Amino acid sequence: MSQSTLSPGVTPVSFGGAFANDESERARFVSAQRRLAWRKRLLPVVAIAGLIALWGAVVAIFDVQPFIAPSPWAVASVLVEKADILLANLVPTATEALLGFLLGNLVAIVIATAFVYSKAAEEAFFPVAVMINTIPVVAKAPILVLLLGNGMEPKIAIAALICFFPTLVNMTRGLRDVNPQALELMKVLSASPREIFWKLRVRNSLPYLFSALKIAASMSVIGAIVGEWIGSTSGIGALIIQATYNFDSPLLYATIVVGSTFSAVFFSVISMLERRLLKWNTARAN
Amino acid sequence: MLNTMSFSAQIPLSLAASAVPAVECQGVTVRFTTERGTVTALENIDLTVPQGSFLSLLGPSGCGKSTLLRVVADLIAPTSGIVRVNGEAPEVARQNREIGFVFQDAALLPWRTALENVLLPLEVGGGARRSNNRDPRELLALVGLSGWEDAYPHELSGGMRQRVSIARALVSGPKLLLMDEPFGALDEITRDRLNEELLQVWESTGTTILFVTHSIYEAAFLGQEVLLLAARPGRVRELVDVNLPSPRRLPQRETAEFVELAGHLRRVLETC
Ligand SMILES: Nc1ncnc2c1ncn2[C@@H]1O[C@H](COP(=O)(O)OP(=O)(O)OP(=O)(O)O)[C@@H](O)[C@H]1O
Ligand SMILES: [Mg+2]
Repeated sequence: MSQSTLSPGVTPVSFGGAFANDESERARFVSAQRRLAWRKRLLPVVAIAGLIALWGAVVAIFDVQPFIAPSPWAVASVLVEKADILLANLVPTATEALLGFLLGNLVAIVIATAFVYSKAAEEAFFPVAVMINTIPVVAKAPILVLLLGNGMEPKIAIAALICFFPTLVNMTRGLRDVNPQALELMKVLSASPREIFWKLRVRNSLPYLFSALKIAASMSVIGAIVGEWIGSTSGIGALIIQATYNFDSPLLYATIVVGSTFSAVFFSVISMLERRLLKWNTARAN
Repeated sequence: MLNTMSFSAQIPLSLAASAVPAVECQGVTVRFTTERGTVTALENIDLTVPQGSFLSLLGPSGCGKSTLLRVVADLIAPTSGIVRVNGEAPEVARQNREIGFVFQDAALLPWRTALENVLLPLEVGGGARRSNNRDPRELLALVGLSGWEDAYPHELSGGMRQRVSIARALVSGPKLLLMDEPFGALDEITRDRLNEELLQVWESTGTTILFVTHSIYEAAFLGQEVLLLAARPGRVRELVDVNLPSPRRLPQRETAEFVELAGHLRRVLETC
């Protein structure tokens, strides 16, 4: 690189020494990072295994009846034997949760954008959003079933409604709470409103959006399940009701395990996306 | 647009440079109206800054130093008075990328690496099309950051962040650089070092610099002139000529001339 074209006679100050070109130091850093990553993965597994062992011990020692609480092995065998039934019921629930997640977050993002550009829109509609949010899910569910019928639609709507509020609040904040000096910088650079939106506001909102999406991932599954409690013949929610009425506690527990596992996978996918997209932010958080 | 560009290219550079001051203020007054009443941040400021000069702005807190820079950068409009930048309205100068601004807290975008931050001015406001643009990598080298192109702001020290923001302000090749307490948050050793480097950047680029500071030593060491402002309302107190030999180097701050100058600035400042 020719320095002279730009700055004749200027010697740039070198920070070369600040990069410890020390291989062993780097190797130590990498291995410490790897150890931390393994610990992060192993500890939850150990904790869950411990809790299952404790549960098994309690059931065995106190001789708990199967219709009150099953043993872990009973649940495990149901998970294997009735895998087809469980998975067949997971499909509608997962579909409702995913569609509700997409719909609720999309609408929330669009409305948050409108709020940031129009104070009047926020003043008019934010109280409405708060009011809808204060209605408990179990109360929203029957209303939506009456409105939308017995298919997937009311479940999707419930999942969407549950996702909607946290994303609306976080996204509005993320789009709005931009460093004021960064905004002034954009003005000095004569940036257009579109450039300010995409290059500043949207990027600034992503960490806020992802913390909302992580909440929404598990909430949307809860929404779909609660929706299925009312007049549904398939889905994780329907299976829960059915197993409860039949005092089939191993099936009930197995159903819950399947539902939670899906929820956890959904959450992990969002977390992974977050780490991938917000490298700068996750590095800062550590 | 094309016409004016080819036209201005025909003006002999030396003539244009000597004829038009970099910044001209005539009777500039800025008032802010808030719930608590009206604040006169600047009153009747007259100021002429020649091309290529280095002017330090010194004054007590709240005397309107930032406001003056913001008026020149077209971030706010004066309540009354006339401002010219390179003979044009500040808005035109801003749109032509003749103004670079360095903020106190660097204002880097945390999701962009050092290099990407320096590239920002070329990505927005039609910045890529301009003919004065410089190589961002060379600018990072100029401010002593070669090898740090891919580092994120949180991986850089405060001084390094400010270096990035200086490189960013220079990337469009501005004729005027406005700096609002850029080194205010840094420790003294780092600040001294950046002061010397800033003078080297100034000498090598020929940019006019308006530099706001709270530090008497910084103001006197950097500026060819020091503009002292008084507060409530903000007005020009005194324009002090700094007669120190150039190139300036840090040890000069221990000379009798410098100590005397700093003493004078301090005495005036105490009455502001
Ligand atoms: N946007 C604003 N709204 C209302 N008042 C303002 C605004 N900006 C500045 N002021 C007022 O104008 C006066 C000058 O402010 P300014 O920021 O220019 O001072 P300053 O010299 O830069 O101070 P400091 O050295 O503390 O940065 C202050 O009294 C301040 O309260
Ligand atoms: Mg200020």
